[in-house]
Parts: sequence; structure tokens; C-alpha cells
Amino acid sequence: MTITDIMGEGTDMLAVGLGHYLAVSAILLVLGIFGIFLNRKNVIVILMSIELMLLAVNLNLVAFSSALDDLTGQVMAMFVLTVAAAEAAIGLAIVVIYFRNRGSIEVEDVNLMKG
Amino acid sequence: MMIAALAFYVFAAILIASAAMVVSARNPVHSVLFLILAFFNAAALFLLAGAEFLAMILVIVYVGAVAVLFLFVVMMLDINFSQLREGFQRYAPVGATIGVVLLAELAIVLGGWKFAPGAASLRFAPRAEGVHNTAQLGQLIYTHYILLFQASGLVLLVAMIGAIVLTLRDKTSSRHQVIAQQIGRMAGDTLEMMDVRSGAGVRELGIIRPKPAPEPEVAAHDDHGHHGGGH
Amino acid sequence: MGGAAMTWMSLNWTLALPEIVLSCCGMAILILGVVSRGNFFRLGCMLTVGAFLLTAMLVLSGANGVGYSGLFVTDAYSVFVKLLVLAAATLGVVMSLDYNEHENLRRFEFPVLMLFSTVGMMLMASATSLMTMYMGVELMSLSIYVLAAFARDELRSSEAGLKYFVLGSLASGLLLYGVSLIYGFTGSMDFALLAKALSDPASASPGLVVGIVFVLSGLALKVSAVPFHMWTPDVYEGAPTPVTAFMASAPKVAAMALLVRLMASPFGHLLAQWQQLIVLMSIASMLLGSLAAIGQRNFKRLMAYSSIGHMGYALIGLAAGTQAGVRGVLIYLVTYVFMNIGTFALIIAMRRRGRAVEGITDLAGLGRTDPAMALGLAVFMFSMAGIPPFSGFWGKYFIFTAAVQQGMWALAVIGVLTSVIGAFYYIRIIKVMYFDAPDEAFDVRPASLSFVAGVGGLFTTLFFLYPAPVVAAAEAAAKVLFG
Repeated sequence: MTITDIMGEGTDMLAVGLGHYLAVSAILLVLGIFGIFLNRKNVIVILMSIELMLLAVNLNLVAFSSALDDLTGQVMAMFVLTVAAAEAAIGLAIVVIYFRNRGSIEVEDVNLMKG
Repeated sequence: MMIAALAFYVFAAILIASAAMVVSARNPVHSVLFLILAFFNAAALFLLAGAEFLAMILVIVYVGAVAVLFLFVVMMLDINFSQLREGFQRYAPVGATIGVVLLAELAIVLGGWKFAPGAASLRFAPRAEGVHNTAQLGQLIYTHYILLFQASGLVLLVAMIGAIVLTLRDKTSSRHQVIAQQIGRMAGDTLEMMDVRSGAGVRELGIIRPKPAPEPEVAAHDDHGHHGGGH
Repeated sequence: MGGAAMTWMSLNWTLALPEIVLSCCGMAILILGVVSRGNFFRLGCMLTVGAFLLTAMLVLSGANGVGYSGLFVTDAYSVFVKLLVLAAATLGVVMSLDYNEHENLRRFEFPVLMLFSTVGMMLMASATSLMTMYMGVELMSLSIYVLAAFARDELRSSEAGLKYFVLGSLASGLLLYGVSLIYGFTGSMDFALLAKALSDPASASPGLVVGIVFVLSGLALKVSAVPFHMWTPDVYEGAPTPVTAFMASAPKVAAMALLVRLMASPFGHLLAQWQQLIVLMSIASMLLGSLAAIGQRNFKRLMAYSSIGHMGYALIGLAAGTQAGVRGVLIYLVTYVFMNIGTFALIIAMRRRGRAVEGITDLAGLGRTDPAMALGLAVFMFSMAGIPPFSGFWGKYFIFTAAVQQGMWALAVIGVLTSVIGAFYYIRIIKVMYFDAPDEAFDVRPASLSFVAGVGGLFTTLFFLYPAPVVAAAEAAAKVLFG
């Protein structure tokens, strides 16, 4: 079932299928998660990976918003953008004090998985 | 339609390639630059999907503010680049395997996306004809979503407080000019007239130089209690 | 609905009056702190406590209803959760009064951040849309990241902040991805509309189920349920102790309440899809909470494992998926908050010659050196172990009976078994206090800590005499979700 079946003709805003957008966004999400767990030596890249994850979410929201012809998704994407900017600011502030105390930005020893 | 599809593939390919570079680049500065490239291409994809306003916001807020903030912090911290990549090779095979599995699972789920039967009737804000994207978003955000709009204001306020409280240091060591203190000084505070008999020497009279200041902070200054460079 | 003409009054904006007033108080305190000369920390804390009390009164006196175009609701459930959150936050601020003075953390931003975090939790309690949920979670979490790293000159604290930040952001990323999938499937983020769209479980697509799983994982990390618990011990140990106490109580309540509302109301018809997941999380949390705690020497770390276990017990009530189960969760959360906060107040009181100590062996012989404090800790430990007549027992009682009513015998039996194992390490603390050779006495306890521990202790001890108001309020709150 495509969206035009339930929404009526001419509503689909997307130039390519919704599936393409979802695929790009899924790859971005996986790259982001990948980056978080792989970059044990560099917290800043971890923060950037978080930004990539949020970008994937935004892409998803915008694609669905277009496919459904509904603006709620775009409004949500806007709030996500705002919060992501705030998150980046706080994350970088925490990285700065961590660096001051430790002299490096490695997280190997912090060991995120230690139970 | 053909050109739009072609543009989509080009932008999507660059987006994914630069995202891969963000997580794998050797130098964090390169990571930030690739992040900027990724944001630009994502903005293009937003445009193709008809979200003009978000595309512009992404460029302005992300490239203009967040990425520059990242760049600033990367430059500010004195990082030893040579050590940064060591762990990457060790974890890469495991990470890649997990990533591929996750991606395959997502592909199965997302391929052939279905909508709920009633999805069309559930939409809260269907696109109106003849009103452009920015105006429509504005009409929603300042009316129905006013609560969340204000809440996002609070989130930004918290980010501001947080960044300041964590990183701002009161610089007690720096010598700012305190004009009120400078003007308020009386001659009697610093000047003292002493009767010195000739040939007796000042040490016996108990005159200590420099004169002990009332505040320890002022005493730390080596210019006899003078404040700042305003004299 | 979207294009319809609307007026300011049709938003029903007075429903969010408590949140609005609390945020305005927060900003006022912030401004006062910036312009005031001298140290504003103590006064800021007092004003924050005042703001919390004022807000609690507004919460109690507010009308019920749905407002802000379906984004926000005030009902018996949200009122219950908000009052509990406000109580926990108030006690958390009182606790930090003397600790922060000692540890040189007296900056007025501390209570202000706690206040804004509380606003986020109140939004979570009232959320009837995935969007409100997200904004509430973020407002709460961002403040707590900063609070965890508040002792900025201490490596331990900044490590805790960093770790919590990275994993918390990962969680909110997953949560958001789930939200986007749910939105993509149904075209809506509104809980009521979602419930309508998903009333036929057969229509649920794999995409929707994956979305729900993503949202569930994001929230599980906020309540630190296994397998998303790994941040808890390190962050609890590293963060300043009043922040740990705050983190272990108020946000747990808000996140658990949100999880319950989300699972019971929009996804209530999909019980079969998520029930197994919750059961597994619950069993794993209870097991890990009781087994991993045994070897701990640091009291704060022990409390981290204890809180993981407690969240496991609370999840049993959700797994039951009934009104009685949700009532059990709410009562459990009430008892948990008071015994938890009380314990942390006494952990903060563990100070020798001006230095904070956190080891369990530091409690040796407390029964002789400070009988009052030892008695308090003994009450909290007995209550956490679930020994009657203390409140912890009653929390577990309501949860287990709800599970048994649903025929979930296995879950209830595992719960009882893990509480027996858990009782071992709680009682070990009592043994250390009363039977080991006394160590040097602790410093004199500030009145603020005695007050908090006293409130927690009295509630924990006397709950069984008059549980009716809490039980009735929880009953009414649970009824809202199962209307």
C-alpha cells in the first residue's frame, strides 16, 4: 500500500520513494551508534556521532511528514534541532571540564560499559 | 521528477560518505568539517522533501552555530592526535558486525513501509494549499505548540546556565581597573609623613616597606597597593 | 483540528499553571542570584523550596482536563506523580544545603537547575503526546547532566557527568528514532489518537513494534532498568551525593510514571507485544540489583544497584498490565522515594573530620557512636529489604498481589526470591553498624540532614498505620489510565 492509496492522489511530496529516505536515515543512525561505541579515545567524535543520530531522526521525521502530508513531523524536527543544539552546548562544556581535570579526552578508562 | 531523483541520490551519497568520515577520520578537525558537509547535504534532502524552513534552520543553526562550537572546542583543547585512533582498529570489526546486523534488521523493518489504516484521519496539521512552509510552521508553533515552544526556551536556558556554571571561572588573579576604588583612595591611606632624624635610618623607626595593606588581595600586588594601570 | 480557528482560551492554558509558575520562580531566582552581592546559595535554596511548595499547592488546587491542543493533561495520575516529584525535589534541595557548603559547591545555579529539571519531570507527568514527552525528558535530563558534573574540579564528578551525558544522549536518540517510526506509522503523536489507531493489535506493523521497542529502550535507560543500567553505579558514585539522591528519586519517579502512562494508554491494546519485554527487563533488573550489590564496598554504589533492583520490582506492576498493577507501581514509587531520600541524607551525614566517607565499613559500630543515625539507617535498610511493618514491605505487597492476580506466579516468586537475596546485603549493613568494633565517630550532623532523614524515617515507619490516603490516591490515579 502506498501513501497515495490512503491519502488520495497528488499528496505525495517526495521526489523519490519514502523507502529511500528511510534507508538513508537508517544508515545515518547506525553510523552514529557505531561512532559512539568505537571512538573510545575521543569524546568529541562521540558528541558528533550523537549529532548524526539526531540528524537521522530529523530526516525520518521530515520524510514521514512529507509522505503523510502533515506538518507535525516538521514541527517535531524543529524542536529536536533546538534540543540538539542545547545538548551540544552542554556536552562540550562537560568535555571541557573533563579535559581540564584529566588532561586528555580519552574515555577508554571511563569505560562506558563497566557495570 | 527525474532531476529531483538524481539530486536525491547525489546528496544522499555525499551525506552518507561524509557521515562515515565523521566517525572514522583521523583528525577531529576533519571530523567537524565532514560534519558540516553532512549537514549541508541533509539540508538539501530536507529541501527535496519540501521542508524549506527546516533546511534553512539546519544550515544556520547547525553549520553556523553548533559546528563552529565543535570546531572551537577541538581547537581549544590541546589534543594529542596520534593517540586518538588506537582503539578504533581494535573495536572496528566487532562494531562493523553489529552495525551491519542492525542495518539489516532495520532494512527488513523499513522496507515496504506500511501506514496504519486510519493514518490519514489522524493527522493533526495537514498541509494547507497556498500557504508556504514557513508561514504554516509559524502558525502551528505559536498557537497549538506554544507549550513546547516555551519548553524549548527553557531547554536553551538550561543549556546556557549549564555551560556557564561548568566552564566560567571568576578570574581573581586578573587586574581589572576598579575606578571607584581608585578615586576613593585618600592620600592618608598610602602616604604617611614621618619624622626621620638624619643619620638614624628608617629601620629603627619601625617603618615597614611596603606598607602592610588592609586587604590581603591588595598586599599581593607588588606596586605598593596601587590598583590597576589607570595611573 | 489543525486548521480550526483557535483562541487563547481554547488552549486551556491554566492547566499548566503550576509549571508556568515554577518556571517563572526559577527565572526570578536566577536573576536574583545574578544581581545579588555575596553568596546567594542558601537563600536560593530556600526560595526554591518555597517555589516547590507553592507549586505543590497549585497542583493540588488545579482543575482537571486536556489542554494545549491535546499536548498536556491534568488528571489524578499526573497530580499524584507531580506531588511525589515535588516532594522528592524539595527534600533533595534541603539535603544539598549543608553538603554544598562543605564541598565548596555553593553556587546558586544548583537549586535553579534542580528546579528546571523538576519542571521537565512535571511535563513528563502530564504528557499526552510524544512531543511533550520528549521535551519533558530532555529538560529533565539536560539539567541533571550538568548537576552530575557540578563538582567541576573533581575528576570523578566530571567523569560521571560525561558518562551520563553520552549514554543519556544515546538513549534520547533511540527514543526519538522510535518516536519517528511511531509517527510514521500512525500519522500522529497524540496519545489518545494513537490509542484509537492501535486499537486493533493485528494492524501493528513491524515498523511500529520496532518503534515501540526503541522508545522503551530510551525510557529504560532513564529508569536504569537492565540492560540499560550500566551507567548507574559509576554515575551514582561520581556525582555529588545530593545530586545522586535527587537522580535516584525524582527522575526515576517521573520516567517510570511516563513509561507506565505510555504503555498503558496509547499502547495498551498492544499488551501482548510489549509485556514479555517488560517481564524480561523486570526479572533481569531484580536479579542484577540483588546479586551485583553483594560485593559492593561503597555505599553509593550499593544504592545504585539497590535502585536498579527497585525499578525491577516496580516494572512487575507494569508487566501485570492492570489497574491493580499500576496502583502497585505508584505505591511502590512513593515508598521508594521516601526510604531512598532518607538513606541518602544519612549517607551525606557520613563525614569524619570534615571529609565525606562512603565506605560501608565506615559505618562500623555506628550503633554505639551515634544510635539515632544507626536506628534511622536500620529502618531504611529493613524497609528496602521488604521487612514488615516498614513501608517497603507494603510497596512490594501491592506489586506482588497484582502480579498474582494476573496469574504471573513466576514473576512474583522471582521477586520474592530476589528480595530475600537482597535482604542479605541490607542486613549486612545493620550487622556492621551494631556488631562491629566502633570506628571514630562521625562529625555532628547538620539539622537539614536530620530533618530529611526524619521525614523519610517517619513515613517509612508509620506508613502501615494509615496507608489509606496514599492507596486511595494511587487507586484514583491508576483508574485514569484504565478508565
